[in-house]
Amino acid sequence: MSDISHHQAVVPEKLVQGKPHARGWNLAVLGVLPSWLLMGFALIIPILIIVAVSFSVRGAYGGFDWGFDLAGYKQILFNEGWSGEIEFTPQYLVIILRTLLLAGVTTLLCLTLAVPVAYYIASQPPFRKALLVYLVTLPFWMSMILRVYAWMIILGRDGPLPQFLQFFGAPSGLTLMYNDGATLAAMVYTYIPLMVLPVFASIEKLDGTLIEAAHDLYGSRWTALRRVILPLTAPGIASGAILVFVPSLGAVLEPILMGGGKQMMMGSLIQLQFGGGRNWPFGSAIAVMLMIFVMIVLVLIALRARRKEVAA
Amino acid sequence: MQKYMSATAIALCLASPALAEGKLNLYVWSESIAPELIETFSREYDVEVSVDGYTSNEDLLTKLQAGASGYDIAVPSQHFLRIMIDEGLVENYGANKLEAYNNIDERWRNQWWDETQEYSIPLAYGTAGFVVNTEEYDGPTDSLKYFLEPDGDLAGRIAMLSYPDEIIGTAQLYLGVPFCSEDPDEMKKVLDLLMAQKEAVAVYSSDNIESRLISGEVATHFWWDGETVRAQSEGAPLTYAMPKEGLVGWLDSMVIPKGAPNRENAIKFIEFISTPENATVEMNHYAHSSPMTVVEEDKKYTKDVAPALYPEVPVEMSRTCSPKAQDLVTRVWTQLLQ
Repeated sequence: MSDISHHQAVVPEKLVQGKPHARGWNLAVLGVLPSWLLMGFALIIPILIIVAVSFSVRGAYGGFDWGFDLAGYKQILFNEGWSGEIEFTPQYLVIILRTLLLAGVTTLLCLTLAVPVAYYIASQPPFRKALLVYLVTLPFWMSMILRVYAWMIILGRDGPLPQFLQFFGAPSGLTLMYNDGATLAAMVYTYIPLMVLPVFASIEKLDGTLIEAAHDLYGSRWTALRRVILPLTAPGIASGAILVFVPSLGAVLEPILMGGGKQMMMGSLIQLQFGGGRNWPFGSAIAVMLMIFVMIVLVLIALRARRKEVAA
Repeated sequence: MQKYMSATAIALCLASPALAEGKLNLYVWSESIAPELIETFSREYDVEVSVDGYTSNEDLLTKLQAGASGYDIAVPSQHFLRIMIDEGLVENYGANKLEAYNNIDERWRNQWWDETQEYSIPLAYGTAGFVVNTEEYDGPTDSLKYFLEPDGDLAGRIAMLSYPDEIIGTAQLYLGVPFCSEDPDEMKKVLDLLMAQKEAVAVYSSDNIESRLISGEVATHFWWDGETVRAQSEGAPLTYAMPKEGLVGWLDSMVIPKGAPNRENAIKFIEFISTPENATVEMNHYAHSSPMTVVEEDKKYTKDVAPALYPEVPVEMSRTCSPKAQDLVTRVWTQLLQ
């Protein structure tokens, strides 16, 4: 710590003599140095390690040896079949696509549910608004695993929801667990606050007179939503979508505990490779793929945002 | 209120073992070590003990391979112990020269996983198999057929573990395929069997087993003998199946990971937990069989109380698979859950 402050105090002065603008430059660089160090050690170096492991040579009983090997990536598409031949095996692609689909559907459902909720919150008087925002964040005070367990009780055999349905004639001993719907319910419940909050923030900033103007120009409610509200709240929707989509890609808990774990997701596939599969390079290669998908989504959204800015 | 708080804080400081002479970091199966033994050891030897838990051998192996775990004692099963010795992940602490060695039951000494018994002292052994909730299923349980090829009663009400270790072994026992087979044709048969069973499986999960089984959410679950015995002793209506094809066996041993920071305390603890009195306390807590000599009259889980611990069907210990065989296991598992 003392080292850093020492540098900050001395180095700029030295440079100032030579270059008149150096002082500002140095402050800008050194001032954010702690956050760069944090980013480097906590984010960039671990990612580089994963990338390096994905190209390394697999150890016989797990682990890896430094070296260069593309086997991890090749294995995503080509594997030895039961007949002993190396063949195109879509099994991992199926898992990857299923994970993308689950994350996509989760994001869409969250969005559909979050927009009206956010709109409602934004239209409340200040005190009630603050209270409702607080309530939306409330689930984050509890551990995620507990929230999933709560859903297991709600949907489980003789849980509140099956009992409610029995009241309307559903068979007794009904369970709503261990299917895709149960997985989705837990996923949407877990991630929806991450959608509501940014959407709410951008709806709140919305200028109500613009909506009035749309109506004055004979725009229907639908037109006003489509041509005024949605474009103006797009930044909030985009950041909400990122916040929901990205963690959904790595979900392990919900598909296993709620969905029954009968179909693997990318998260559990990676886990298997670092555990029973004893194939760290392959596990890392899948993790790198996952990161690439996330990057593509982020870049697309960023490009879109910039195009909008240029157009405006 | 404030008075109460500060009094609590002072009491906590006094009670806290933070002032203890040394430390000991255990990495063991979740809830496996009797808390009273930890407490006694901590007090008698003035050592601050911390306990972390894992729920699969894979977790443990991965952690040790990643290096610098900081743990002083770990408890792998026999087939993983072999890998850890071969890969140089555990210390040779001269276990056969300890007092504890003399207390190991003859039949568990110097086995293939540690021929010279220099690396490990056993802690517990048991089997893995299927358990039924007798309120949900009253059919026969004397064959793996009822579990692996269910014909109606159990359809949709079966739960498996979420990793392949013992499950593939059980399928192999049923099919007569040797453990760690390197023959793709044999392993394809294992896959076909599990694929057909999947229709009747509700869930593949290693978490939350007890409540899933006891609530009747599923009628049968793949589980361990000791966990079943513990639930039974709390009154759960469970039966541990004794299939004529046999059960998959395991034995967990205490090892010292390479570079353990508190090696001396680790040896002290291994000696401590291995005395007949303490081995009895441990067995009464863990509910798995003890490979050590125990005080017979203090033993809680006798043959009458806990028949699950005294199988009369063949028990086949899991083996250490070659990389080739392990790849086949992973392939079966991936295709099963594809």
